[in-house]
Amino acid sequence: MILASLIASLGWPLALLLALWPARTRRLAQALAPLAPLPALWAAAVLPEAAVLELPSVLLGTRLGLDATGRLFLLFTALTWLAAGLYARAYLAHDARRTAFWAFFLATQAGNLGLCLALDLASFYTAYALMTFAAYGLVVHTSTAEAWRAGRIYLVMAVLGELTLIAGLMMTAHAAGSPLVADLRAASPSPLAVGLVTAGLGVKVGLPLLHLWLPLAHPVAPVPASAVLSGVMLKAGLLGWLRFLPLGQAAYPEAGAALLTLGLLAMFYGVALGLTQRDLKVVLAYSSVSQMGFMSLGVGAGLVAPQSWPLLLPAVGLYALHHALAKSALFLGAGVALQAGGRLWVLAGLALPALALAGAPLTSGWLAKTTLKAGLTDLPPLWAAAAAALLPLAAAGTTLLMARLLWLAARLQGKGAAGGLAPVWLAWTLAGIVLPWALLPAGAAAGGPSPPLMATALWPMALGLALAGLAAFLRLRLPVVPPGDLVVPVERVIRALARLRDPHQAMG
Amino acid sequence: MTPNEALPLAVIVSSLLPGLIIFALPERRVGLRSALNLLGAVAKLAFVIMLLVGVDAGEEYGFRHTVLPGVELVFKADALALLFVTLSTVLWLFTTVYAIGYLEDSPHRSRFFGFFSLCVTATVGLAMAGNLFTFFVFYELLTLSTFPLVVHRGTPQAMRGGTVYLAYTLAGGALLLTGIVWLHGLMGQVDFVHGGSVAALGPQAEAQLKVVFLLLIAGVGVKAAIVPLHGWLPQAMVAPAPVSALLHAVAVVKAGAFGIVRIVYEVYGVEYAQSLGLLEPLAIAAAITIVWGSLRALTQDDLKKRLAYSTVSQVSYIALGVALFGPVGTIGGLVHLVHQGIMKITLFFAAGNYAETLGVHKVSELDGAGRRMPLTSAAFSIAAFGMIGVAPTAGYVSKWYLGEGALAAGMDWVVAVLWTSSLLNAAYFLPILYRLWFRPRPAAWPAEHIPAHGWRETGWLLLAPPLVTAAAVLVTGVFAEAVWSPLAWAKLIAAREYLQ
Repeated sequence: MILASLIASLGWPLALLLALWPARTRRLAQALAPLAPLPALWAAAVLPEAAVLELPSVLLGTRLGLDATGRLFLLFTALTWLAAGLYARAYLAHDARRTAFWAFFLATQAGNLGLCLALDLASFYTAYALMTFAAYGLVVHTSTAEAWRAGRIYLVMAVLGELTLIAGLMMTAHAAGSPLVADLRAASPSPLAVGLVTAGLGVKVGLPLLHLWLPLAHPVAPVPASAVLSGVMLKAGLLGWLRFLPLGQAAYPEAGAALLTLGLLAMFYGVALGLTQRDLKVVLAYSSVSQMGFMSLGVGAGLVAPQSWPLLLPAVGLYALHHALAKSALFLGAGVALQAGGRLWVLAGLALPALALAGAPLTSGWLAKTTLKAGLTDLPPLWAAAAAALLPLAAAGTTLLMARLLWLAARLQGKGAAGGLAPVWLAWTLAGIVLPWALLPAGAAAGGPSPPLMATALWPMALGLALAGLAAFLRLRLPVVPPGDLVVPVERVIRALARLRDPHQAMG
Repeated sequence: MTPNEALPLAVIVSSLLPGLIIFALPERRVGLRSALNLLGAVAKLAFVIMLLVGVDAGEEYGFRHTVLPGVELVFKADALALLFVTLSTVLWLFTTVYAIGYLEDSPHRSRFFGFFSLCVTATVGLAMAGNLFTFFVFYELLTLSTFPLVVHRGTPQAMRGGTVYLAYTLAGGALLLTGIVWLHGLMGQVDFVHGGSVAALGPQAEAQLKVVFLLLIAGVGVKAAIVPLHGWLPQAMVAPAPVSALLHAVAVVKAGAFGIVRIVYEVYGVEYAQSLGLLEPLAIAAAITIVWGSLRALTQDDLKKRLAYSTVSQVSYIALGVALFGPVGTIGGLVHLVHQGIMKITLFFAAGNYAETLGVHKVSELDGAGRRMPLTSAAFSIAAFGMIGVAPTAGYVSKWYLGEGALAAGMDWVVAVLWTSSLLNAAYFLPILYRLWFRPRPAAWPAEHIPAHGWRETGWLLLAPPLVTAAAVLVTGVFAEAVWSPLAWAKLIAAREYLQ
């Protein structure tokens, strides 16, 4: 049964993908494509923890299965893909090239689900590579000039990231003498190996400076693809960290300090650049950079203070779950807003996940932030103080960014009815409110809701709202920064170099 | 003659005999010629399978024949020989099928297939050579039998490419011969034995042995296209696609790489080569070649030329693996002998299909070819991902073992070389895939020779070989640790080379 369940989780999306090719089965495959994550969802719900499938002759010796971390990631990944798939059915109803979209959608999904099940590095990397390369097709689907540019930058950075990851994994596996996650986590790799794994996966996570592709690629994709790109595919990088870094084993002060710094930087960098954007989806992409900073902070803390990892792991998992649900709901909602305009019900629907992201009391974001904070107390004093001071400010920043999002949405003119998009989106938004409480990992949010905790969550929000109000009152005009920010000068340098080498031919 | 002596001979004769008969056949006997070709290829495969089963069980195959006093022709079909023999035999079968389709209705086919058979005869002979003399004989036979294939078309460009090819390989042969004669002078006939034999000459011969090593490696390094001895390979791409497959995957460059393996492991012995300090310079030469070949590939618009420079780079992975002191690196190098073969032959088959079907020779003309020829392009894409080293392809397995081998040998810088090379591989293969699949197709192809019929985008004989080899790229990657995989065979060889 374990075998059947695991095979179906990956085989069903791939079977649907193959069925898209012959003209005879194409319609059926397209109709069933949104349901592709169902076997994986079932596996996440019912497979016992001890269930492990060993395939010693596959790749470098494959082990598939679900531990607590993998189950959580598989659950929110499969759910988000399900929501995005159902949304895509309506979104693509009149798209002439929807077969190609579904093909890339299913291939990307198979990779994304597969990496949640991987308990050895080769199968993880296989699934990760499938996801990365197939997602190129989603990024460039609209075939506009921006899409091709975003796709090119996405691919270059993705390849750099994967090669760096592989180099890091080679070193980690050399230290561990085994390709299995259980052994890799117990090994003591060199700081260089830890740095390479962190940086390689950091491209996917969108760490500052490695994020350049993200604000270009996420918004340019069709809305359901943006939702999974920003909602769950960024978490594939996070899961990789949890799988391959020696978290909770030994202290890695340098890598940990770097990740803590980049995490803190990301929180504010994402907000600051997000505020300068006019496009809803770009704002959301920058918000993802900011939010992934919270998770990077948690992982960095685990590298610095291994003794607090038992507290941090559930916190990071909970944060990933929260952000996956909230961010995908916001992207799907942005799609509705772009279609139906800034009507009241649309704004109300956007406000719910926006509040969660800002950490409003009793939302998933509040739960995640409180748990994360509890895990950070054991850091060295300087880091603990910095985190304690900056986390509320980051929450204020998130509130400000979400206010900006709603303000931009409110000014949108509708292009027509949202059709079948709205029901899927609203159902998903509601699910995003309920699910984190239902799925609460054991040991998380030990304190439960209490008035003082709520108060500490409220003042940053109040600060953010006050700033937003002030900006509106002063009619503050924000500078315009092109999406992808630093990628623009980088591209200029590359073009100049290409011209130097070959004056007749610009970059292709 | 016992069966264990006869079987290696049968492997050689099974292509030699059909080759000689084909030379005598009139041009129009297409059916008989094709039947002879395929019969020879299938018979050879059958003999090879018998050898594989036997060697796996620990049997020893081989025979000796005295030519002159002190000079013997020695053949031994050990595990290492069979790695190369199996690769050549299987790929030769596919290349023969492909060549029959590719050369349909072109002139001089008897000559072509005659030399084609001689070429593979030389390759298996060289693979099973049991001493340096035998190796040299077949190494030169290989040069002479491939030259007519390179110049087959007879165009001025082909003649020029052929001349360059001949100049390089004959010069390489001369270096090799000098090294062999020198070594003969020192110790008489040099048999290939596990752990090598020259260490017995003692410390006073060390200086000479270093020079001889350089001569031998330079001699085989010409065929292995180690920079700066690689100049012939990009020139030779004027040859027809099946010949390119022979040059790049089945026979020629492999013969050079295989020579490096034999010289390091079974003439010098890897421990002794390491103690003489010969392995690190070899690794550095291989690393330079890997990066240089990829850099040159980046700027080629001619598809086959880009693939040729890619071969320069990829074949040196084998030399690199050999130069990494330790069994893991050896496994990586040996398995890449097979993996590079199946990946590169797929790419050349596909390149040939674009040329034969659409008249497309340049990367810049490939826009939208994926829509017109999806199966060929899918095969090309799988092999290209393999070259980059993306899992789950064969190339991933090679690079993984090379990286692990480098770390085990304490040569961490090799990981940086692999990183750079993979990045460059991506930089010259991904733009091709982008053109194939994402660019709109042109209004008309340069010269569409073969119209599409539903699923059949080109002739079956052209389509089937790349599909089978592309499937092999995936299967050898996905089932890398299976008992029948090339990786398992490479591990068997490494275990036998290091457990002396």
